Amino acid sequence: EAASLTRREGAGGLAQWVLVELQGEVEPRESGGLAGSLLGDLHYTREGIPVLIVGHHILYGKVVQLEKPFAVLVKQGAGEPGPTGPHTHYTVTALIKTKLLFKTRPKPIITNVPKKV
Amino acid sequence: SLVIRGEKDEQAVLCSKDKTYDMKIADTSNMLLFIPGCKTPEQLNADQASCNIIHSQIAGFSNNYWELRRCRPKLKKLRKLLMEDPYEGPDSQKDQTSTFSKYTTEDLLSLIQASEEEILHQLQVIDACKIEGYWRILEFDYEMKLLNHVTQLIDSESWSLSKVPLRTCLEELGSLEPTEMIEHILLSYGRKYIDDAGEVYFEMHEDKICRAIARMLLQNAVKFNLSEFQEVWQQSVPEGMTARLDQLKGLALVDKTSRPETIFLLKVEDLPEDNQERFNSLFSIREKWTEVDITPYIQDLCAEKQTVGALLTKYARSSMQNGVRVYNSRRPIS
Repeated sequence: EAASLTRREGAGGLAQWVLVELQGEVEPRESGGLAGSLLGDLHYTREGIPVLIVGHHILYGKVVQLEKPFAVLVKQGAGEPGPTGPHTHYTVTALIKTKLLFKTRPKPIITNVPKKV
Repeated sequence: SLVIRGEKDEQAVLCSKDKTYDMKIADTSNMLLFIPGCKTPEQLNADQASCNIIHSQIAGFSNNYWELRRCRPKLKKLRKLLMEDPYEGPDSQKDQTSTFSKYTTEDLLSLIQASEEEILHQLQVIDACKIEGYWRILEFDYEMKLLNHVTQLIDSESWSLSKVPLRTCLEELGSLEPTEMIEHILLSYGRKYIDDAGEVYFEMHEDKICRAIARMLLQNAVKFNLSEFQEVWQQSVPEGMTARLDQLKGLALVDKTSRPETIFLLKVEDLPEDNQERFNSLFSIREKWTEVDITPYIQDLCAEKQTVGALLTKYARSSMQNGVRVYNSRRPIS
């Protein structure tokens, strides 16, 4: 049994994606799943520190160059078993060499704190 | 390109053209989001023009990923498959029948968890040959018969062991055995070279020939009286060759504790491929081993840049016995 992996055809080589790593889980605000919903806003400070705003929380992270880059594989068809050659095929669609790691505790953003009650 | 190989009952491996990697799933409690086209700070700095909002889609997320670790190719199965139907010579009745249990290169590539180059290299190491498109191992008796033809011819022609002419071998022995087999045995037990006149010669491997003859003698009994064995062995090897015990590393083991000393067949290729199972097997054969004795039986377990010493530290416990360092099992062996 075998499955083969090849790089995606096309001009310009493989796409470069970025990984965002969050501690814990992301839940949708309303029921209905995550697909199509806005996660949040990503900013970078002048020093290059990534800042993620999710709902009313703010997370600070850091840019990490991955020691072991990732390859993103897309499965192409389960395929019927053939007499020769692999039946399953994965295409290497993109490489990930950088990740934005957010592991500090999210801080709630409080906008208006009156000094005196 | 790369290939993932493995049967349903095997752990998957990933193979490049010449390397093999174990595949494991790594889990993380963190959430990994992958974002095509997401820019890093450096990329944004360089692109001063845009201060607009870039709408990016998260392509997907995951809690796990596949991790690769370079490993030894899993080649024990190769010998096992080829031993299903060893080649016994053209006169054997067996070969006329089916092609069941016969393997082409393509068959082996789909069954063996190793890269193509590692498989082809191992086929050479075990002296396999291609007969009618199928890879075959010679049945040992047939192999020794072929070797014997050659050594007898060397003796009767009084050739130097380092200058055995291919052409004459084929002429003299061609009526007894297929010429491909004569050439194969010369390639297995000698080093091929071409002289200035363009003639093909073989420099015979003394160690390998002596070793094969020892195997032939040892496989007929459970164990032998060491000194008797050495005498018979020396008498059996071709004129001009010296039989030495160090030629038998990984093939036979001497028991120095028995009186008289004995020797018995123990082939490393018959032992388990997995590290822990190999050590368990060795320690059930003998409780305590010296490093010199055990090394030939664990050498093949060493990963890239790993030493025998490192393996012993991991899988064995050492102690001193009569001033000599010995190794035994870390756990009780049933």
